[in-house]
Amino acid sequence: MSTFFGVTRMIRTGTLLLALLFLPSGAAAQETARDLIDRVDRLLRGQSSHAVATMEVVTENWERSMSLELWSLGTDYSLIRITAPKKEEGTATLMADDEIWNYLPRVDRTIKIPASMMMGAWMGSHFTNDDLVKESQLIDDYDIEFSYEGARDGVEVWELALTPKAEAAVVWGHIEYQVRKSDTMPTWARYYDEDGTLVRTMTFSDFQTMGGRLVPMAMDMHPEDKPGERTSVRYTELEFDIDIDESFFSLRALRSGGR
Amino acid sequence: MSAGPWWRIGWRNLGRNQRRTLITALGLAFGYFAVVFMIGWAEGLVAEMIENGTGILTGQLQVHDLDYRPERKIYDTIGGREGSDVDRLVATVAADPAIAAAAPRVFVGGLISSGEATRAGLLMGVDPGLEPQVSRLMRGLIAGAAPAAETNQIMIGAEMARQLGVEVGDEVILVVPAADGSMGNDLYAVSGIYRTGMAELDGSYAVLPITSLQYLAALDPNRIHEIAATTTDAWLAPEAAERIAAGLAPLELGVEVEPWTRLRPEMLDYTQLAKGWYFIVIVIVFAIAVFGVANTMLMATYERRREIAVMLALGTTPWRITLTVLFEAIALGFIALVVGAVITFPLLAWWHNSPPDLSWLYGDFTMFGALVRPVLRVEYNFPMAIWTGVALLMTALLAALYPAARASRIPPADTLSGL
Repeated sequence: MSTFFGVTRMIRTGTLLLALLFLPSGAAAQETARDLIDRVDRLLRGQSSHAVATMEVVTENWERSMSLELWSLGTDYSLIRITAPKKEEGTATLMADDEIWNYLPRVDRTIKIPASMMMGAWMGSHFTNDDLVKESQLIDDYDIEFSYEGARDGVEVWELALTPKAEAAVVWGHIEYQVRKSDTMPTWARYYDEDGTLVRTMTFSDFQTMGGRLVPMAMDMHPEDKPGERTSVRYTELEFDIDIDESFFSLRALRSGGR
Repeated sequence: MSAGPWWRIGWRNLGRNQRRTLITALGLAFGYFAVVFMIGWAEGLVAEMIENGTGILTGQLQVHDLDYRPERKIYDTIGGREGSDVDRLVATVAADPAIAAAAPRVFVGGLISSGEATRAGLLMGVDPGLEPQVSRLMRGLIAGAAPAAETNQIMIGAEMARQLGVEVGDEVILVVPAADGSMGNDLYAVSGIYRTGMAELDGSYAVLPITSLQYLAALDPNRIHEIAATTTDAWLAPEAAERIAAGLAPLELGVEVEPWTRLRPEMLDYTQLAKGWYFIVIVIVFAIAVFGVANTMLMATYERRREIAVMLALGTTPWRITLTVLFEAIALGFIALVVGAVITFPLLAWWHNSPPDLSWLYGDFTMFGALVRPVLRVEYNFPMAIWTGVALLMTALLAALYPAARASRIPPADTLSGL
């Protein structure tokens, strides 16, 4: 699922190298829908990564911008630390396995986010806590098939429909992805509820080669029920396969500043 | 009364078989007691439901921004983004003659955390001086004290305290999505633990000083979400709401003033249902009594058939015979009514003033989200007591119609000749 975790997930590499070995991009035309989503999903994963990003949240009631520093390791660990504005500098979120912990520098305490708050907003954004920990792969939870192939606004694309498997514990009724044929980059993902109503749209843009791979540097989440509201994430730095281990993602490290 | 001797004959016939008269009268009297008592008990349940449904938290009247309900967004404060003159608003509401007390409130949903345990809760900012006069929440303390004004103290429910594993004096962390988009967070000391008996309150509501919560949620001191008020009598709330709404209109704040009858329409619906139910009870109880009385009257007239035959033979019209029997029934009804009232009202007064404990029969339960204690609480309902009395007399009269008609048609010659 391309969600806020996708933010960290997309900057993970590793498996993409494998994907490239077995699936040269020229072979894309032969790919099944499942392979294609797997490739997009793997694009957003990696062994480890480090990034600097800004997150801009626009709501009906306020607008704010935050600077973030992000680290990830595998699919189980990631850490996001707010570096600006001053009021929230040092606030950090640790995802380890399926748990989320927030560090609050003002009171120097960590709190665990309860399961009941998983659909709650992360730091006031349009991403949910669930987005941060969702670690299962799309191809495990969804049946995938092509719903469209051809030109959209002059660009050759595939569109794919992802329907949850009966036993999958997912929150969406179904998801749609659009992927460019030329470089198999995702352009948008649309999330629908169980009634088939569009809930939110994530768009990917500003594709650049960072750390030796092509990735979208900008992602925008638009909630459908609140027109005009959005959360935009822009990467300014991105590096892959950095030298960190699991101890980096501990509660102690969370409190001590992650260094 | 121009009824002549017929009334006296009817009355004296009652004395003919005093035991039978007494038993029949007692039957009717008990019917009267049963109905009045059941209505009193039902009224007690309704009153209990309204008092607890409004008294624990809601209040009997609330003032909000027009946009506040039902979403209850943190931004929709009274007077909009600019806020309002809170002290003046509270004073205006409290000045209404039907209002006993009024208090400002701020509500913010947030997380309450201690150690590894974190729970979502509704944080309620209150004026510690005014709030106890409006809601009983702060009077339900089972440990510690209410939070003091202007401090980082918090009062939580017993269920939440259990879930968080905290006691009085422990520290909890509050995290709230603030009105400016930031994450407000701070340390609070648990000053007290309350219990209302209502799981949804005890497990989710946390009470802290209003100024402290406003600071945490980045709300200016002039921004509040609600003014809650209690009335001197719950049924005065709708009129009071109209007066207050009219009084606040010149301020052009865009507020709604809602009495509990509109905030909790299900409770009002139930009271209406209960009123309809009272009449059904009357009908059922007296429908049963009607056959008992009719039987008695049939026996009484059959017993006197020779006497009636003599009266008819002497020239009494059948209508006079009918009247005699009807008078007898009405007299019986009056005796029953007096006996019923003598049994009913002292008992009712006793139970009203010291309700018997029924916890052996049932425990606390909630009705429409309102706690109802296991006591036999009865409330007076004099109009219904009068209606019940009228129903009793009508029952006696109705029961006598058939026996009276039969009595008037007794064939004198055949009866007297022993046929």
